[in-house]
This record gives sequence, C-alpha cells and structure tokens, in this order.
Amino acid sequence: MNRHRNSFHKARQRRKGLGRRQAASTGKPSSTKLTADQWDIAHLRSHLQAAVDLEFWTLPFYLSAMYSIKDRSSDAYQLIRTVVNQEMLHLQSASNIANAYGLSPTFAAPKYEGTNIPHLDFSGDDLDEIDKFKPYTATIGALDLEHVNAMCLIEIPEYLTGETGDLNENVTEYGSIGAFYDALRYGASLLTDHLHGGVKQVDFFSAYYRGMPSLKVIDDGADGFDQVSLLIDLITDQGEGATKEDETVLPAFQNTADDVAPELDHFDKFLAIKDAKELPETFKGGGSGDQLQQILVSEFTDLRAALEHLFGGGNPQQFFPVMASVGGAIRNCWENGVSPRFS
Amino acid sequence: MPSKTIFRVHPTLNVARFGTSDDYILAPETAAGAREADGVTIGGLPIKAGTENELVTSSDLRDAGGHLKKQAARFRLFWYDFDGTARYPGGDGSEVVIGTKLPDGRKVVDLVWTVHLANKKAAAYNVVNNLGIKAYADGQVPQRRNPEVHGEVDSPSRLNQLMIDAGPRAISAASGQSAKFDNATTPSAGNGQGAIESFPDYPVRFPADVNDTLFEPTGPLDTLGEIWTDDKGRLIVLPSIGNAVGQYDEYDVPIQITGDLNNVGWYDAASDGPVSVTLQFDDGTTETAFGAWVNCCDPGYAPQIRNVVSTWDDVYDTWVRELGLQPDLFGPKSGYNPDYEPVFDQDIKPIFGAAAQQRWTANLPEMALRSHTAVDAIDETHEPNKTIMAGLNFIRNPNADETNIGTPLMPLSLGEAGTSFLTVSKTQYFMLAQWSRNKFQTGPGRVFGPGEQLDIAALTNCLGGRYVPGIEFSYIVRSVDIYIQDWQTTGAGPFRVKHKPLDYSKADEDTPFLTGGWIPLHGMTDGLEPGDLSKFMAIPWQTDYNSCSIHQTLINTNGVNESNGAASTLYWSWPSQRPDAVYVAEEVVNNVLPAQRWSIRGPGTYAVNPASAATFQNPLQSIEQWDRIGIVMQGSNIDIEDRSFSPKLFLEVQGQLTAPGDASDPVAQWPFNANPSKKERG
Repeated sequence: MNRHRNSFHKARQRRKGLGRRQAASTGKPSSTKLTADQWDIAHLRSHLQAAVDLEFWTLPFYLSAMYSIKDRSSDAYQLIRTVVNQEMLHLQSASNIANAYGLSPTFAAPKYEGTNIPHLDFSGDDLDEIDKFKPYTATIGALDLEHVNAMCLIEIPEYLTGETGDLNENVTEYGSIGAFYDALRYGASLLTDHLHGGVKQVDFFSAYYRGMPSLKVIDDGADGFDQVSLLIDLITDQGEGATKEDETVLPAFQNTADDVAPELDHFDKFLAIKDAKELPETFKGGGSGDQLQQILVSEFTDLRAALEHLFGGGNPQQFFPVMASVGGAIRNCWENGVSPRFS
Repeated sequence: MPSKTIFRVHPTLNVARFGTSDDYILAPETAAGAREADGVTIGGLPIKAGTENELVTSSDLRDAGGHLKKQAARFRLFWYDFDGTARYPGGDGSEVVIGTKLPDGRKVVDLVWTVHLANKKAAAYNVVNNLGIKAYADGQVPQRRNPEVHGEVDSPSRLNQLMIDAGPRAISAASGQSAKFDNATTPSAGNGQGAIESFPDYPVRFPADVNDTLFEPTGPLDTLGEIWTDDKGRLIVLPSIGNAVGQYDEYDVPIQITGDLNNVGWYDAASDGPVSVTLQFDDGTTETAFGAWVNCCDPGYAPQIRNVVSTWDDVYDTWVRELGLQPDLFGPKSGYNPDYEPVFDQDIKPIFGAAAQQRWTANLPEMALRSHTAVDAIDETHEPNKTIMAGLNFIRNPNADETNIGTPLMPLSLGEAGTSFLTVSKTQYFMLAQWSRNKFQTGPGRVFGPGEQLDIAALTNCLGGRYVPGIEFSYIVRSVDIYIQDWQTTGAGPFRVKHKPLDYSKADEDTPFLTGGWIPLHGMTDGLEPGDLSKFMAIPWQTDYNSCSIHQTLINTNGVNESNGAASTLYWSWPSQRPDAVYVAEEVVNNVLPAQRWSIRGPGTYAVNPASAATFQNPLQSIEQWDRIGIVMQGSNIDIEDRSFSPKLFLEVQGQLTAPGDASDPVAQWPFNANPSKKERG
C-alpha cells in the first residue's frame, strides 16, 4: 500500500490548472436571490436539508463504484473507501448543523438518473475544464470512466469560493457545491439566534480525527457558529481542498487512523484514479438477481430509517449493523453479477 | 484387517500454565467461547482441583496468600477399536482408568506414565519477528541466542551452559507415585513393559549448575514442574512457577533486559516434552499408547475469550490441507470440495462468537461493539445474504493479497510475521464462504469422541494466527514435520506430535543428552525432543507477554508502514489471549459497565507514548509482577461477596496491580495513535 503513496501525490501536481472558475458574469440561469433581510430560518433549514441530501446522495454512488472493484487492495478501491468514510463524516456534520438550527433531517431515497448530479450546473463554467470530465453519468454503476468522471466533477475545486455566498430562494439554484456551502455558511451566520448547541449531536468519528477540536455543535450563538463554520470547512476542505489549488487538506481535517492518503482531498483522490494507467477490473452487473437487489433495497430503506432515528435524537441499536449490511448487500450484488439498486 | 484395540492419550497437545502458588487448578477441558449444555456457561473455564469437571469460580484463582494458582494439565487415556484406517472425526473412544475392563476381558491394573520436560530456549535460535518461520527457509537459520557462548547449536558446551533439562520422570498410577522435575530427583522412565527404570547418570541441567550466582528476582530456577496421577490413574502435569533468572555481567550487575524476544543471559522456567504411558493388565500383558505432548507456559488471563484464530484453527487447517484429515472436505489435488457443507454451530458460529467476545479484552469503539453483536446474533436459521456478513464483505480473504488492508476488514488485530493484519485460516474462510453461499448444515453436526473433544478444547484455548512468536505455541504447529503423519494406518490418530525415540540407557552425566533438536523447513522428520516446542518462544516469556499489547503495524513489516492507514495507528497484538483493556468486576454496579481499564496498570505502567500503554514500562517488573495481573471471567462464575453479575459480562477479577478506586492511565477509544517518531517530529 505504501508503495503507491507517491503516485497519489503526483495527482496533485497534475491537478494544477484544473478546476472550475465560478462565473460571476456568465450566462448562469436566473435565480431568485435573497437579501440578508429576506433570508429566514425556513430558508436556512431547507438549505440544511439539501446539504444532508447532497452528502447522502454520494454514498450509494461512491459505494457502488467501490464495491464493483474486484481487488479490494487496489489503489482505486482504497481511495474511494477513504472518500466514502469522509462522506459519512460529512453526513454527520451536516446533520449536526441542521439539528443545531432546529431541523432533524430526513433521508429520502436519492435519485440516480441521467447526468443529474445535485447542485452541479456547468452552464456558467469554463467548458474546456468541464469537458475533461466528460462523458459522465449520475446513474448507479461499476467504476468506469463515466463514473470516475462524475466523481471528479462532484468534487471539482471551486477556486472562487470562500467569499460571501449569494443566498438563493431555491436550493437547486446554486451552480456548484462550493457556492451552495458558501451560501449555507453565510446564511447560518445571519441566524445565530436560532442556533442551539448540544441538540441531537452525533459523533462517531472524533477518534478518527484526533486533530479536530470538535465534531459537534455544542454552544449557542457566536461560539456555536464557530463550530458550525468549522464543520463546513471540514466538508469543503476534505471534498475539494482548500481554496488555493495546491494546498493539501488542512492537518486538523486529516484522518489520523485509516486513510491511505489523508492529505489529499476527494478531488485529488478521484483524479488519481482517473489518471492511473488503467481502471481496476470490476464485476459486471446487469444479471438477474432480483432477490439480491430486493435485499439491498430493504437494507437501504432500513438505513434511511435508522439515520432519521439517529439524527432525530434516537439511539438505534441496529444503526451500525444496518449500515454495514448495506455495504455487504452491494458487494453481494456485484459478486453475483447484479447491479445494485437502492429504491 | 481385523480390528484391534489401540490406546491414545488425549489431549494430544495439552497446556499447563504457570502460577506462583503451590496450589493448582486443572486446565479447561471445554473450548473457549462455546456455550455449554446449560445454555449459560461459556467454555474455557479451568476445573477445580480434585474434581471431575467442577468449574472454578473467581475465588479459586488465588490461594489464601494471594498467589496465583498453577494450572495443571490433565491427560486421559482412551481405547479405540481400530480396523486399520483411522478417520476423522472418529466419534468413538472410551476412557481407560485403573480398573477398566476391556472388551477382550483384560483389566487395567496400572498405568505407568513417563514425561520428559526440558527448556532449550537459551540454546536455540532467535525469534525473528518480521520473518517468522521464513527465517529457517532455504537452508538458513536465524542467529543463535546467547551468541557469546561459543559453539554451534548442537555443541555440548553450549547445551551444557544454556539448556535446562530435568530429564524424564516415570510414575506408577497404581502406586500413587509422584515425581518432581528438579535436580534432587533421579530421572526415570517406563521401559515399555510396565516397569520403571532409574537413570542416575542422566545429565540433568539447571542454570545454577553452570553459574556461580544468578539474579533470581522471584527465586531460584530449580524445577520445571511435577507429575502425579489422580485416583483414576490420569496424569496430572504441574508446571513450574514460571520464574526467570538472569546472569550477572562482569561488573556483577544483572544483565539488562534489552528486548522482548531474545534476551541474552536469561533463562525461564517454561518447558515442554513428550507424555507416554504403558498399560499393565491383570494377565501380565502390557500395551503402549500413542502418546501426547505437554507444554508449560503463560497463564490463561482470559480463559473463556476465544481467539478468532486459535491454535486449533491453525492445526486443523494444516491437517485438512496437508495431511488428509477429511478427504470429503479437502483433497490433495482437488482442493476444497465445493459441495462440502460446514455445520453452522461447529464451523461458523464459533468464529462469529469469537468476534463478539473481543470487547471484553480490547478497547473497541461502539461501531465495532454493535456490529460484532449483530454478527453474534446470526444463527443457523438466518439467510446469509440478509445478514451483516453478506458476501463476507468484512472478512479479510486469506487467499487474496489483503493482509495489509485494515479497516473495515476483520479480524483487525495484528498479523503474523511480515503482514500487517491477521486473516482467518484458509479452512475457516472456506467454511464461511460455503455458509455465505447457503451451503451449510444445521443441527448438531459431526460427532466427536470424548478424546477428540479434549484435543479441540486444549488447542482452542490457545492463541493462533499471530505467531510472533505466540503465547503457547509458535508457527511450528503449522509444520507437518512435527506430527505423526501416517496417522491413519498406524492408528495414532491426528494432531499427535511425533516423539523422537530416546534411549536413556545411553545417558552420560557429562554429556548433554538432548541436542539442538528439531527445526522447521530443514526436512527433519524424526520427531521432536523435549524442549523442541517451547524453544521457539520468547525468553523470558514475561517480556514478550508484557510488550505484546498494542503496536503499530510496522512492527511486523520491517519498520515500514504497509497498511492502508496511518503509520501511527495502534492495533491489538493478541487481544483474546493477552487482555489489553478490561472491565474490572469491583467497578461494575448493577451490571452497568464502567470505563475500561488497562489489564496491566498502576505504578510502573504509566506510558508517555500510547504505544506502550498497558505494559510494565520496565520489563523487569513484568518478571516480578506478572502473577498480579487479573483474570477475565464470566459474570456467573464471579463470587465477590454480596455481589452478583450477569453471565453476559466477562470481567476482570483477582487483579492485584491496583486497588479499587486507584487512578490509572485512561483507556483511549480506538482508533488511537502512537506518538510521532523522532523522524516525523523532525
């Protein structure tokens, strides 16, 4: 495993020049902008639910790609594994923020259709950069070029983020995940009166992030907002890296336990897979296996219920077993020539 | 071939365990982790002395003075009707005791047992922790221990100075004899005809014979144990007190302990050797049984906690794949039989149960606790594809290159030499894979004879997989050369260590009787001498037990992190057999678990670096205080006054390192990390 680490770092060098430039003056679709005065707690909560939806969307997509890889010791498998673990952390972080603002999130079954990746709208971007990751697909499938392209696009850096975000009425109106989180942070800062720490906070990851001061929102008001902001930083930095293109993931946000390349953000990890000499061998789906698909759908439905229970303040004893069972069910589908299905 | 009556000693490999008390308990005759017939008790508990099978309670573990009782190994004799081809499992066998009348009408009037104990550790080769058995490959051998003592491994001068050999002792059960393995007792051996011969010229060797003075922190090393028989004529082998003694250097300072495995200038009182017995009948005839082997080694600090990979799993795997144990399971050319149906309760459930038991001796996070609980909840009625074990998604495949992949693959403890993580054996994995494919049996399964059950139990209660070098046995249990390989045609049955023939009549007081002995991968098939099993273990044993708590994976891989995680992440070495984190019974209230504590804690254990937590920081303290470590035991067998504990709990009892309420190093939740190395700090 160690022998491959240098090659991961080479990916970072290749990354230079890649990435989206958020276009302030291009032809992005018109949206319903909100002023700070118009922005209210309902808007914030709808954005927080959208953040949870977004993080949740990536899990079946990435997991399906990962479990399609035959060789579990392959770089690609291991890199995706570490990203999946962090997406779970992001899900926890987004849910903790939501609960701090009075919203216990729900977990609807994500949709995987066509090229519909949530919050990705390339209409205002430098298409040359985007074209490097085409073709891509948002459908569930084995790791292939279309899927790894999609994974890169989901995590592609947004160098102009870090500025005060535009607030939109509708959560679908953001052109990028970066812009969405910028708005979320700004919008959250406007409503700290509604922020109550210590409410339904969950932490399953702090032992994996020994450098993180806290993975919960434990205080009210301004102090609590610092914790909210830290969690948003964690999400965005692990995902696409810090705002400067050559920076690695900040030390505080790096996994200290079980990451093969903790300093690399998700984009760099996926870029390393894309740029490798060849993609790993995968199982082929498409076979008949309705029973295995049904088991997966059932397990995934149970997981969604367990997540709602967990982030609704409950303590579902079966949460971890169900979460693990979903993974087993996905792998079981692939190994038996069946494509995973989640709903 | 007409059938004939043959005799076998069981367990074929048995373990006696050190204690500092003169009192003893008997080695368990049930397997750790297995639920007993009462539906409550978990197997692996030792037996009260003088009883058939009355299980110990916590107050039986120490004597009135607080000393840890020894665990004696009990050997039984069985007769079998042998038709010329042994099978496994045979499912038969009847115990033979004094007075037993065989089908042919002969009555047993005496059993003459012979045992020979020796310790060749100081004279043997180093344990090489990143190579394991490979250190013996290609005609090579590791560096010799105590290299300053001149000579080759067989040199009389080295053996005279470094080997401990008490010689053989024979006793008559009918006469109620006993014998000590010390310098004051004349060696003796059964002559195979029912008589006992003395060998006063046998070259008994103890460290004091060749060292004017020795550093003896817990007393002189002047015995390797004792034998006697119970009222039925069964053999009882009592080990030594497990002490260690060291030489002084030229400045009259005890030679410093500088490592965990191969300390120069030190001896310990471990030992091993063959067990044989001759039956004498009322008609004057005699018969000789297929013998066994005894190994005297570390205490069992968590006797009911099953290793996910035990010595039994390794021995069974070796016999299945290399010695034709079960042709219906594995053929030499065809490999595993894809139609073979493992038995859920015998082949699958023990693995699941062992995973769930790890929580009692290791600091597992909540994620693991709940997942393991779900694994353990799987029974034979469950559809495998609908369980958490679907597709064996979280099991490290021993047939793939996955030994450097940590989370989320299981087992998550450290692997054998050269690998980061442990794998189940290939046979265990095959069984799991068959179950996963819905190809398994329900119900009681195969029938094992009483002797066969003893074989399984004795080895299940020992550490497997991570033989670096191990606790009871090392990697050599996977070497077919140590066993009687024509087990089917001779009637010896499986799992029996081959005794090297020893002609004691040739013993000469001035010449070491034993040699350097058997080593692996050198084509040696003439059998093992006394001391040939334990010599592959650490010297002294305490320093290895002490240090093998938690490590970075790079300890196995030449100092280079080959794992898929941080180099600093710490993992458990032998979590079932060498408890790391425990729950202390006195701190449990109303069956609510307190915070875990390190098994080795208190003064002298405070660690600046988490990598050395749960250990005596000065290895000498491990030599002096190993007997103060507590024992993990099922709640239903804990008899603390005015308290009762749920049988679901496995708690530390009889610990003497701290008093209730004493502060100690906190136990971190896993994953936790070692301090950065000097290189990393810059």
